Amino acid sequence: MTAPTDRDLILRARRGDAEAFGELVTRYQTGVFNVCYRILHERGEAEDLAQESFMRAYDRLNTFDIEREFGPWIRRVAANLCLNHLESQKVTAPLDEERDADESQKPEAVTEVRERGEQIREALASLPPHYRLVVELRHYQEMSYDEIAAELRIPLSDVKSHLFRARKLLAEKLHAPD
Amino acid sequence: MHLTEEELNEYLDNEVQDRARVEQHLSSCEECAARLAALQTLFTEIESLPELALSHSLAAPFKRTSNLPAQLPRWLTLTATLQAALALIAIIIAAPFVSNLLPALEMPTYSDVFLQIQSQWTAWLDILSLRSQIQIPTLPEIPVVELSSLVITLTLAGISMLWLVGNGLLLRNQIK
Repeated sequence: MTAPTDRDLILRARRGDAEAFGELVTRYQTGVFNVCYRILHERGEAEDLAQESFMRAYDRLNTFDIEREFGPWIRRVAANLCLNHLESQKVTAPLDEERDADESQKPEAVTEVRERGEQIREALASLPPHYRLVVELRHYQEMSYDEIAAELRIPLSDVKSHLFRARKLLAEKLHAPD
Repeated sequence: MHLTEEELNEYLDNEVQDRARVEQHLSSCEECAARLAALQTLFTEIESLPELALSHSLAAPFKRTSNLPAQLPRWLTLTATLQAALALIAIIIAAPFVSNLLPALEMPTYSDVFLQIQSQWTAWLDILSLRSQIQIPTLPEIPVVELSSLVITLTLAGISMLWLVGNGLLLRNQIK
């Protein structure tokens, strides 16, 4: 028996089938959580907002165009929620201090790949929130400059300057000589 | 003249205006080609960031629920404003009838209710002060105000309007 498609699950969820929506959540929860974590860099908040993203998605399931892919849509819902969260928090403190120590990600024998991943994550965390947002939307959600400008309601010139500066900062952090 | 940082970024983002010109320059300029390669490495590193695992499943709360509320058809949610307008019209039409019915119900006025509370309060104070010999402040005097049925009707209509406007705003967010 083949697994039901996202489309099938969405149609069932619209009729109130909790199991079907739960299956959709299972499929996309890791991706959505990682969107939130890359933007917020705090595990607890990221998990809360990932959960909230699915609640919001359920409320808006009727407005979702069934012909589109569910994954990019729910990730965009999550990014928007994180944006609103950042705006409401007015985060100005350096995020290195806020970042939780995720022990589960630090086994005794870390591989080189994991170490590099950790370095990239730390470099991302050190960026100002609005820089992290454009990096998220461009690199992980593959949105165009125009789409990012529309999503964040900022001028195209700001999208470019935030993105290019963010990359410059990342390069300085990641490629700095030891 | 070398390519700018902006041009290199836009080139890799597939957002550059004159792609052919940039490619022509890159083919003949080692320095710019090296800068592009470094930027490409950064892109690869950012995009190869491994995903973290969740500490718990987010699906559990949904799967524990026997059934979620079925979604209303979109056309129905869009009639929210119409519903609010109809409800308002109904209230306006009903107001004269309600205003005629209210006096017949012989409901106690606010002043009657306050007087009852005051006398009850005084009785309790008397009992307490007799037992403990302490001074307990009395309730302030409440002016006796007789509210006519018209005032009550208008008040109710006002409250209903606020409720409708509030709900309309809430529904507007839902529709979005």
